[in-house]
Amino acid sequence: MTGVTAAPRARRQKAGISWGGWIFGTALVVLILFTLFPFYWAIVASLTPDAALFRDPSLWPQHIILDHYRALFGERDFITPIRNSLIVAGTTTIFCLCVGTLAAYALARLEFKGKAPIMGFILAVTMFPQISIVSPLYLLLRALHLIDTYPGLIMPYMTFAMPLTVWVLTGSIRQIPKDLEEAAHVDGASRRQSFTKILLPLAVPSLATTGILTFIYCWNEFLFALSFTLGPERQTVPVAIALFRGMYQVPWGEILAAAIVATAPVAAMVLIFQRRIVQGLTAGAVKG
Amino acid sequence: MRVVHAALLSGVVVLGACARTRKSNETVLTFSGSALGAEGTLVAKQLQRFMQLHPGIRVELQRTPDDANQRHQLYVQWLNARVGNPDILQLDVVWTPEFAAAGWVLPLTRFKPASGEFFPATITANTWAGQLYALPWFADVGLLYRRTDFVPNEPRSLGELVADAKQAMARPGGPRFGIVWQGARYEGLITGFVEYLGAFGGRILDDSGRVVVNQPQAVRALQFMRDELYSSHIAPLDVLTWHEEEARFAFQNGTAVFMRNWPYPVAAMSDKSQSSVAGKFAVSPIPASGEAGGHSTAALGGAQLAINAYSESPDAAYRLIEYLTAPEQMLERGQAVGQYPTRPALYSDSRLRAALAIPLDDARRAIESATPRPVTPIYTELSEILQIELHRALVRQAEPQEALNSAAKKIDALIERTGMRRLMGAEQKAASPTGSSMAGHTE
Amino acid sequence: MRKISRLGHEARLGWTLVAPALSVIALIAIFPLGWTVWESLHLHELRMPWLGQPFVGFANYVEIAKDPRFWAALAHTAFFTVVSISLELLIGLFLALAMNRAFRGRGFVRAAVLVPWAIPTVVAALLWRFMFESQGGIANALLVDVHILKQPIVWFIETSTAWVPVILADVWKTTPFVALLLLAGLQNIDLSLYEAAAVDGANAWWQLRHITLPLLKPAILVTLIFRTLDGFRVFDLIYVLTGGGPGTSTEPVALYTFNALLQNLRFGYGSALSVVIFAITFGLALIYVKGLGVRLGGDET
Repeated sequence: MTGVTAAPRARRQKAGISWGGWIFGTALVVLILFTLFPFYWAIVASLTPDAALFRDPSLWPQHIILDHYRALFGERDFITPIRNSLIVAGTTTIFCLCVGTLAAYALARLEFKGKAPIMGFILAVTMFPQISIVSPLYLLLRALHLIDTYPGLIMPYMTFAMPLTVWVLTGSIRQIPKDLEEAAHVDGASRRQSFTKILLPLAVPSLATTGILTFIYCWNEFLFALSFTLGPERQTVPVAIALFRGMYQVPWGEILAAAIVATAPVAAMVLIFQRRIVQGLTAGAVKG
Repeated sequence: MRVVHAALLSGVVVLGACARTRKSNETVLTFSGSALGAEGTLVAKQLQRFMQLHPGIRVELQRTPDDANQRHQLYVQWLNARVGNPDILQLDVVWTPEFAAAGWVLPLTRFKPASGEFFPATITANTWAGQLYALPWFADVGLLYRRTDFVPNEPRSLGELVADAKQAMARPGGPRFGIVWQGARYEGLITGFVEYLGAFGGRILDDSGRVVVNQPQAVRALQFMRDELYSSHIAPLDVLTWHEEEARFAFQNGTAVFMRNWPYPVAAMSDKSQSSVAGKFAVSPIPASGEAGGHSTAALGGAQLAINAYSESPDAAYRLIEYLTAPEQMLERGQAVGQYPTRPALYSDSRLRAALAIPLDDARRAIESATPRPVTPIYTELSEILQIELHRALVRQAEPQEALNSAAKKIDALIERTGMRRLMGAEQKAASPTGSSMAGHTE
Repeated sequence: MRKISRLGHEARLGWTLVAPALSVIALIAIFPLGWTVWESLHLHELRMPWLGQPFVGFANYVEIAKDPRFWAALAHTAFFTVVSISLELLIGLFLALAMNRAFRGRGFVRAAVLVPWAIPTVVAALLWRFMFESQGGIANALLVDVHILKQPIVWFIETSTAWVPVILADVWKTTPFVALLLLAGLQNIDLSLYEAAAVDGANAWWQLRHITLPLLKPAILVTLIFRTLDGFRVFDLIYVLTGGGPGTSTEPVALYTFNALLQNLRFGYGSALSVVIFAITFGLALIYVKGLGVRLGGDET
């Protein structure tokens, strides 16, 4: 690691590549390979006939078939879980953003007693083990006849999505300079005006970032979706994939095809918004 | 269609009652089952015919998941909420006592079912506290598949099986594996174990419901499974992660001499385009150990039909069950989806001969020698305990005796905790006049 | 006077704005937790209605204390947490230092490592399960090719080898997150410190030990908290990868609880297990915050 570690971002690289530079480069390449290989392999395997999957695996695809993808959208009806995931994750995200923005504004901009405890409380809730509340939520949803329905998933999703939204949004609103709002106040603008006319437009990027994060968390959630749905009609993507295992068989080809299909949208989101996601993840989490 | 089903699934709970009162002269029944593939088509056809025969009854198909665990969870939840739909439940063979003891399904005694016309083992599996709670719809049995090009005659004992396997593996170009089975930690492991257990004359629970799974016969059965892996090396270690399909792939690709599996792969493996063993395999019952007290047996699976205890029209529901389990419908089922009828009489019918693809005598023999897994309301938890302990022994985390002792201790604690002891005692009294045995299996 | 009333007004407004979010959280998180505690004091077996639903005091907790499977699960959870977090911190630190440097393709590296973080855990687990599945799988093939293994092995039938894909999958999936948290910490370090050290002739190793690591301590501790709590809650990954096997030798507490609750429908006992997990994670968080003085989040704390 020598020669690498402390090189700060501002320092220019020397012309020749040092011994340490080589180690650094090699390690990085190995890490990238380690990161990308599972995806590559899943793509190759999803294009391979099931019978050939475990027979002398070859790093290059031998004879490519599209059967698994055809089966996925044909008899498997993978469209349904994708639709379910979109509805559940989308609704949860939108609701959390609406309610969360108000709370985040108050926590970031207003002075009042109890702020610190509230932040602590919200953080404590994000540390909740999901499994601790599965059974009462199950009984509650059952009593409300909400098992195996969209609201029956959206409600439980709030348990982790709402604290996440409020937490991340508060962090990123704090990073928006106060000057403009203060100037507006001096000019006699009301709180409401400075919020809607000045802060909100400035906070659009933060809202987008938070929305992306919340959406990804909802899209990936498994335990609640597994516990509160009963059949293919309401299962989300992760649950549908995990339960592909049939009465007798493990259809690896289709599972991997589904994995690729489920990964593609999040991967695209990450590639497009990577800078924002990094900001969102680190906002509020680490200070000084 | 999907939307309709979805609406049905979520809405039926709330709206079920309203819907059925709409036409006062018509009885509406809901039937729980699969709507997929050949199975779905067949069920729809048979329900249609039933409605033509009974103009006063309308049957609606309520789609339920095919995965057994999920369907179980769904039923338990509905029944806990005392929902009357679906009127007819499709139960896995090991669920009947659980549902019966919980009071979730109706005893069929008052309908005087002709239980004598079914295989006795399938009736035993559906009997709890001396009463019949479900009628067997179709049967699944564990079979021994073998490569006839290497082993022309069926092995008469487990010893012969090992010798045959070794001999075939030693032949030039012989298969790599001697025998493949399902050894992952799941219900399939129990079914395989029950077969070896019978072969050595062991049992899990005895007639009075005592735990005997750590008796010498059971230890020898488990030791035998372990020896297949580590001593005679006829079974590959892979089987410890395998379910049905992995075993089928191995056998179908020609890499195994023997395979333990259900009847379902016969059709696919007889298809020359995907199978390299088409025309080169046969099935037979799993042999006995050859030791005293041991006998050839097969684990019993399959589906049963029972009436929801909260159903508003139990009489109509029984009529539908009776119709679906009648010889004609069973025969049609055998022909359409290859599932085994539960009526011995059908096994001399030539129409079935063409449908089942294996000799009818072999099929009948296998079912006649079949053993239900322990018939008890606490089966699911009992099975979980056994799965873990068996798997521990097979992966050599524990010695067979040690693992089975531990299983016995935990099952005992389970029986104690659930008040099963009292329940079984009461049941013994209720059952003694007829002399039939409930807890444990019959031979 | 004016100031006070303005503050009072702000407080009222503040609480009004926070109220909806707080009540949602309270309603769907705190209330069920209370319910879980209540439930844990009862015998409640959904499958056995004949047992009724009697109040049993702490009987469920006593059963937990005597339940070897619970203690084993706790040990597995701790093992998993410690091993995976150590690896993640090491690799994450390296990645953070790397991403903090200017080099060609930095954006690509950042995006590439982020993808595993963003995909569902279930999918990640399936990808790794597939690579280690069967003696004919790719992991065996590659390891035999480079002579690390003499012959293919069955990974999921021995405890030690079954952990390998589990830990690898977790490292693969969460290291990016760790690296990002550390990167944020790195970017807060004043560059002039390094320049001064370089003038004094300190080598890179000295700089790492005496400048980077001490100043990165808050970020490392925050990462530790998040990851420890995640580790103790691990569920999806192992549910899909090993199902807790072979036997139950990789079963974590969350999986055992899931099993008791939703497979066996033992709501009383399962709830007691949930309460115990909650108490453990809460205790751990408390130790970190009070004991190690980790400061989380905003400037108010």
